[in-house]
Amino acid sequence: MVENLTGAFRGLWRAFIGKKYWKSLGLFFALVGPGIITSNVDNDAGGITTYSLAGSEYGLTLLWTLIPITGALIIIQEMCARMGVVSGKGLSDLIRERFGARITFYLMIVLFLTNLGNTISEFAGVAASMELFGVSKYISVPISAAIVWWLVVKGNYKSVEKVFLFACVFYLSYIISGFMGKPDWHAIGTSFLEPTIRMETGWLTMAVGVIGTTIAPWMQFYLQSSVVDKGLKAEDYQYTRMDVIIGSVTVNVVAFFIIMLCAVTLFQNGIRIESAKDAAQALAPLAGDYASWLFAFGLLNASLFAASILPISTAYTICEAFGWESSLNRKFLEAPQFYGLYSLMVFLGSGIILLPDMPLISIMYYSQVINGAILPVILIFMLLLVNDRKIMGEYTNGLAMNIVSWLTVAILTVLSLTMLAFVLFTK
Amino acid sequence: MDMNQEPQIFLNFSELLGRKIFDSAGRPVGKILDLTGNIGEIYPPVTEILLRSATDGKIVLFPWRRLAEVEGKLIADPLQPGDLRAPNLRAGELLLKDTLLDKQVVDTDGAKIRRVNDLQFLKSHKTLYLVHVDVGFHGLLRRVGLERPINFLFRVLFDYTLTDQLISWKFVQPVSSPDLLRLTVAQKRLAQLHPADLADIIEDLDIHQRAAVFRSLDIETAAETLEETDPKIQVSLIEDLDTANASDIIEEMSLSEATDLLGDLSKEKAEGILKEMEKDLAEDVKELLAHPEEKAGGLMTTSFFSFTPEHTAGEAMETIRREAEDMDLIYYLYVVDPQDHILGVLSLRELIVAAPEKALSELMDTRIVAVNIEEQKNRIAEDFAKYGMLAMPVVDEDNRLKGVILFKNLLEVVLPKLGR
Repeated sequence: MVENLTGAFRGLWRAFIGKKYWKSLGLFFALVGPGIITSNVDNDAGGITTYSLAGSEYGLTLLWTLIPITGALIIIQEMCARMGVVSGKGLSDLIRERFGARITFYLMIVLFLTNLGNTISEFAGVAASMELFGVSKYISVPISAAIVWWLVVKGNYKSVEKVFLFACVFYLSYIISGFMGKPDWHAIGTSFLEPTIRMETGWLTMAVGVIGTTIAPWMQFYLQSSVVDKGLKAEDYQYTRMDVIIGSVTVNVVAFFIIMLCAVTLFQNGIRIESAKDAAQALAPLAGDYASWLFAFGLLNASLFAASILPISTAYTICEAFGWESSLNRKFLEAPQFYGLYSLMVFLGSGIILLPDMPLISIMYYSQVINGAILPVILIFMLLLVNDRKIMGEYTNGLAMNIVSWLTVAILTVLSLTMLAFVLFTK
Repeated sequence: MDMNQEPQIFLNFSELLGRKIFDSAGRPVGKILDLTGNIGEIYPPVTEILLRSATDGKIVLFPWRRLAEVEGKLIADPLQPGDLRAPNLRAGELLLKDTLLDKQVVDTDGAKIRRVNDLQFLKSHKTLYLVHVDVGFHGLLRRVGLERPINFLFRVLFDYTLTDQLISWKFVQPVSSPDLLRLTVAQKRLAQLHPADLADIIEDLDIHQRAAVFRSLDIETAAETLEETDPKIQVSLIEDLDTANASDIIEEMSLSEATDLLGDLSKEKAEGILKEMEKDLAEDVKELLAHPEEKAGGLMTTSFFSFTPEHTAGEAMETIRREAEDMDLIYYLYVVDPQDHILGVLSLRELIVAAPEKALSELMDTRIVAVNIEEQKNRIAEDFAKYGMLAMPVVDEDNRLKGVILFKNLLEVVLPKLGR
């Protein structure tokens, strides 16, 4: 971690002062993408909901947790990106080759279920945000599902990625609405300088929730295959590392503004909310209509963005593990499993929202639970893989990095299991 | 499963892995971790068993031929002190699980990359031969341990029996390590593939496998394959080679493809390769490289036939016979004056049916359709669509012939924009 970080900054510094300034800058922009995109997809409907709840229920007290979360996210994503660059293989590919068919099979089933749960919550996010603009979910959800489908199947994946990268700009809407809430910067500063841990179940669960939604299992698979798809080489790795760091910081800056906005408006006025939609509605009288609209627009963008990426990423991951044909350049009959899985995700993800009397909150809740349960497994696999000389050669973790990363994974594991226990026994 | 009663049976690798071996007194000797095979043979025979010893937990090798099966039990009989040796592989031996199971292989029959779910052996006269690779869903279920319940479900629900999807080892090219490619290269499995299929496969492999597969090809196949590969991957494949090898391969490519590739390489690499290449060819490439890629000059090749009008059909035929092998375009002959001004054109068909003593000036068509060297590719595509030709001559302002554009090369530029 430490040597990687200083290495990255040294690389950047050298790039800025050196003669090759423009060349480096050009290279950087050519090679960035995977890290920033992954991180921003991560601020999806589930994430925004969790951040809104965290701010409105516990005020500024949870803000400081974003700093260690950023650190953990960087450590984990950095390893993923490094594995992608060095091995040239996706994560599910490596897991299959190293841990065999049986483990991979069950892991993929669980991953499918959790990603399906996540996709459902993305479409729920679409429905909720469009309802704020007065559009019924029976119109918005089918249309957005069709758009998602069309973009990925008919469009060129490369241009889709560019659209997404551009869409990341829309997360600025949260920052703008954050400022519209007229925050008290002094109090915010204090909350960072004097971090507090409250020993109450609710606060702790929420803290774990914030961590869980920021570091999700599917991200690792998605990031690594994007890095592989880009065909990045070990020589260009410093740029990928910067990409990952910038992405991880951005995601948490956005999270900061959401929590902060809800804290200074909803929490201070004692308003209780249950979803991101409530948050957007409650914001109108406190921070103005524009803040409310921006919030809703941000939610729509985040949900659509993640709904486009999750199903396709899941299909790729699973097909890669089982050696099924997986490419958007093939026809349906040439890659039936790939298109089948993809369609199933989009169809179920959007369809379940439209069923009357569907316990949406429970579905999202349980998908978060599976997320939390599978994360430690994947993180431990990652650490074993990244330390395998056969795969990584000289690019395995150094001693310092290993201590930091194992520690991070240990803490995350304990937290995930704690959350799992809370969820299962306090319901 | 006594050898004497049934001389030939099939065995799945997954059913052998993890099984215990006993000595004649019934004491456990160890557990099967892997098998070694001699991969140089067409159907690799299993030579040794990698065991985790039951006594001290050490990993050792045990010769396969000393193993017998008695009443469903694997017996090492008789177990002698020298039987267990340190796990150092002999030349040509490979650990089958380590190098094949769960790994990607190229199916040269179906021209696809597959993932190995299981290996199937043929047991014949006490020897085990690797004969099939299982790439199907049924094999996966067997590995996962769900074969029976899922089989049952499929039978009851759909009246359907899942079958194994096997590929003969003859058509399997392992790619997980460069050693595997080297050991099997004599069998020329990859050479069974069409270069276009080979290019697709190379694009689907990871960076290391890509380089290994590409290096294992002979120069001619490598050149043909490279022509069909995505430009970005072309560059990474060539950048990995030393300049001598790279220039050998690039010399075999068609002139226009070679030029495009060299234009995409880093400047130092391209210059290094050009120095190694044959003088004439390097000159041609340099000339073409001077033109911007999206214009006619960047798309054209200079590897075609041109004659002066006083040549006879017979003489032209002679030249074509002699040089056609190395030319990018042979279907049209261009007739030019000594200053290279284009006078006429004639197709190979017209040449073949013409009397050999006739001069080209009598045979040629003077209604020439040509494009200017500065023309943009979209306009050229329109001309191709309008005139329906295989190739289009490229001229400068003074109507001097500079090169020809092949329809194939233009197609690669225009195709990505179509249909999307």
